[in-house]
Amino acid sequence: MATSVAAHHHVGAAAQYQEENGIWSWLTTVDHKRIGKLYLVSALIFFIVGGLEAAVLRTQLIGPNGKLVSAEMFNQLFTMHGTTMIFLAVMPMSAAFFNFLIPLQIGARDVAFPRLNAFSYWIYLFGGLLITAPIFFGMAPNGGWFGYAPLSTRAFSPQHNMDFWVLGLQILGISSLAAAFNFITTIINLRAPGMTLMRMPIFTWMSFVVQFLVALAFPVITVALIFLQFDRFFGTRFYDIAKGADPLLWQHLFWVFGHPEVYILILPAFGLVSEVLPTFSRKPLFGYPVMVYSGILIGFLGFGVWAHHMFSVGMGPIADAIFSLTTMLIAIPTGVKIFNWLATMWGGNLRFTVAMKFAIALVALFTCGGISGVMHSSPPADLQQTDTYFVVAHFHYVLFGGSIMGLFAGIYYYFPKITGRFMSEKWGNWHFWLSVIGMNLTFFPMHLSGLYGMPRRIYTYDVGQGWELFNKMSTIGTYIIMLGTLIGGINLIRSWRSGKIASSNPWGAATLEWAMPSPPPEYNFAEIPLVKSRYPLWNMKEGQTLVHETTSEEEGGIRIPSAKELHITLPNPTIWPLYCAAGIVWMFCGMLFMETSTATALGVMMSGAAVWIGSLYKWLTTPLEDAH
Amino acid sequence: MVGMFRPRRFASVALLGALALGLAACSTVYPNTTFGHNSDYNASIDALWDKLLFLGTIVFVGVEVALIYVIFRYRRRPDSPQPKPVHGSTTLEIAWTIIPALVLIVVAIPTVKTIFRTQAKAPADALQVEAIGHQWWWEFRYPQYNIVTANELYLPIGRTVSFQLKTVDVLHSFWIPAMGGKRDLVTNRINYMWFTPDDSLPSMAVNGACAEFCGTSHANMRFRTYLVKLAEFEMWRKNQETEPAFTGVVPPPPPAAPAPVKGAKVAAKPDSAAAAVAPVVADRPPVWMFPADQIEAKFGYTIPKTPIPGDSVGTGALNGFDDALLANGDATRGKNSAGVCLACHQFSTKIMPGFSPLAPNLAHIASRHTIGAGLYPNDARHLARWIKNSGHMKPGSKMYPIGKGQMDVNTGKVSTMGMYTDAQIADIVAYLQVLK
Repeated sequence: MATSVAAHHHVGAAAQYQEENGIWSWLTTVDHKRIGKLYLVSALIFFIVGGLEAAVLRTQLIGPNGKLVSAEMFNQLFTMHGTTMIFLAVMPMSAAFFNFLIPLQIGARDVAFPRLNAFSYWIYLFGGLLITAPIFFGMAPNGGWFGYAPLSTRAFSPQHNMDFWVLGLQILGISSLAAAFNFITTIINLRAPGMTLMRMPIFTWMSFVVQFLVALAFPVITVALIFLQFDRFFGTRFYDIAKGADPLLWQHLFWVFGHPEVYILILPAFGLVSEVLPTFSRKPLFGYPVMVYSGILIGFLGFGVWAHHMFSVGMGPIADAIFSLTTMLIAIPTGVKIFNWLATMWGGNLRFTVAMKFAIALVALFTCGGISGVMHSSPPADLQQTDTYFVVAHFHYVLFGGSIMGLFAGIYYYFPKITGRFMSEKWGNWHFWLSVIGMNLTFFPMHLSGLYGMPRRIYTYDVGQGWELFNKMSTIGTYIIMLGTLIGGINLIRSWRSGKIASSNPWGAATLEWAMPSPPPEYNFAEIPLVKSRYPLWNMKEGQTLVHETTSEEEGGIRIPSAKELHITLPNPTIWPLYCAAGIVWMFCGMLFMETSTATALGVMMSGAAVWIGSLYKWLTTPLEDAH
Repeated sequence: MVGMFRPRRFASVALLGALALGLAACSTVYPNTTFGHNSDYNASIDALWDKLLFLGTIVFVGVEVALIYVIFRYRRRPDSPQPKPVHGSTTLEIAWTIIPALVLIVVAIPTVKTIFRTQAKAPADALQVEAIGHQWWWEFRYPQYNIVTANELYLPIGRTVSFQLKTVDVLHSFWIPAMGGKRDLVTNRINYMWFTPDDSLPSMAVNGACAEFCGTSHANMRFRTYLVKLAEFEMWRKNQETEPAFTGVVPPPPPAAPAPVKGAKVAAKPDSAAAAVAPVVADRPPVWMFPADQIEAKFGYTIPKTPIPGDSVGTGALNGFDDALLANGDATRGKNSAGVCLACHQFSTKIMPGFSPLAPNLAHIASRHTIGAGLYPNDARHLARWIKNSGHMKPGSKMYPIGKGQMDVNTGKVSTMGMYTDAQIADIVAYLQVLK
């Protein structure tokens, strides 16, 4: 099976395959693997930033009447914590895996639009900086990550704070949308011969679903944001309450985006875990077709449950009942996933690497978040729970216990493929146990502080409310998470530089990405493989080999031929996507001057437009690759 | 290598620690618990919660036990055989699709029933209360009695209360955890909620809060609810209905000595402040407010303990106040100075149709236990500092500093409106403390 995977053999003598590593090569790269690395590193840095914001929030709340930060700063910090974690850490960390893995898993040389891919990354980075930087001037967005109107309108938020948020999120939306269309095209068009949809690795499947969610959900928030932007800058009245606007317009638009967004955050992690569990159980994924269908179903139903975020706004009993039922419905495919993961491990041969532990942690912790989710799918119960710490506990079990655990599993699992080196299991174990303990100590007590009446988003609370102990526990838990993350970060840096050398398929996994050297050469597959099963590497006959299988003994002993030697044409590096992204962000920044001087604003916007239109022209007129 | 492995040992120690803390948590008092059956509304929510918790716990324990079993039973051993490559089982997968569906039906049916029961129309004879959200305080109106008050709500035990929820600015959410679920205050809309405080309740005070993020001082948008016997409610209501009396009744003593009060004829003086104070009613009903000692005895946590922000003691610093001056506060002089308050506050207890004032009603301010939307106890020390520079006492407060030379923390500039010395503020305090 998959014999052509094994077709290519060592060419020439020893000399490690070397890629260029100068800064310019990173700025101009269009290689999906390098862009994946850029995403990973940027997302991890933003994850640290978001974590530090959380640490300040938790320190403020360690006891009653805390004095560490002012009310205003606290509001900025919780707004930025949510915004950062969702848009700048978890989504891009997923994007790192989309970039790195999808082409490898489907047997392609790159994504469908490599330069658009570079553009997606750069505009994400610049948008992320635009939205993050103001925190250092005490000018960060302060209306919550949900930006509810009318609080986010100019009348109630006259400063620039929410301007950064409105503009930043639109910019990030461009990044997500461009990436979504890119990956949809890639998955539909660039699969290797023989890779039918139902032979695709499960991570690629979940990513495929996520791209559709992005493509359908982000336009909705873009509409909401454009309304808000026009209200704030040009005096339109979509959310102007003085003119009779209905604030629920914003809420419906926001949550029609916001709920699918939850699945955008969790499905990639589900995909990664569905790769990790079979490998370390030495068993195929239990019920692959059902896992695929349940992923699709979750994505589909995800568009029909948005108003469960709005049970307290007074939609009336009929709407409440309907959205309650659809929400309960979505628990069924989610439950099926949990049971299928259990069944995958059942009867297996479990090997507890750090990656496996993080994957199991997702199953254990996401279950908890799923169950509390069902608890507030019941509107009367939700009316006691919504906007309290119970909800904070719930979605952190889903997003930390789910997304982050899954992504960490993915990092430990794919690190050897990405860098050619293992992460340290010893350090990894500390990272894992501290994260899991800290996570539970932080978020479990929040269930109780919520049920005992503590509202969310309060910068202070009085003594004697019965919340002191829970808050103390949560804050200590946060410090433990930070310690774990620090160890994880050190592990990552150390391992990247000097970890143990990994072979092509160090874990004995089954899918195509493990058929290449670690790290893969720039062209991925010397020869495009022919796929004949869902688990090509497990279904190989005795004696078959992979292309360039390296082992730790060889340590750079084999030479991997360059693309030129193999006559493989690759897209040329180019700086224009970066300039184009910078021009767009610069143009958006012009809006910030609207209040003070229209001339300056127009000047900035026009120059920004000139930059990105010029860059786009150059981009489109430069051929993608050299002529043969 | 296995012997060197410490994180897991650390994990078990941490687990024990968590359990110990968990046990400690059981001995605490929870004044804002959502589990109380203090009203029909909350009782039906709690019944639903019990079901959810019961079923949720079964599912949770089931999944986690299965997971732990798998982890121990199928861990890799040197002699483990190669596992069978099972690809799935249609029977099993159908089973664990249908079983959760059945569990959900068990939750869904009572859910839908409860939704329709709790959102039905309130009985026509219910006590009507309008709760109006402001950044960052609560206006409460009793239209049946033509009473406006702020931040403190009196509800008769055993009588259904029907709330009309509105906001004049951004979104807020009205929440009394002990009495039931929350309901948002949505701009340009009216929301409704009703419940009946349980007959068996003793008179008691419970906390309320804004639960929807509403800007800078969202955390400080609290309120108090006093659940009182019908007879007590009648006494409270009759006093509130009557315009406040600036009479010879000796006011409660500010810390040191009672402020000299000039007598009834003062109220008739035709000056601006007096115009707001209605003529004295000869046989006005007795003043009744929830007894402070009962608050402490019953729940103990509804008298705020918020510390005064730093630099507020002594005269030099921002918002500092010389407490010795409070002893010399003169209510009559204070009433004359209080004209400045009329810019935003209302001193009449009557509802002005179609008008929602910018600031809390002061008609019976002295009959409240808290100021600043449940943030501080209502005493001379706090009142004085509040009047002098409220922005310093509560972030974002829209009341500009009244004290001379005080910096407005919202603008960062010295307030041009502030023109009162500490002695004059002490007079205003003395006046406000008479307004029972």
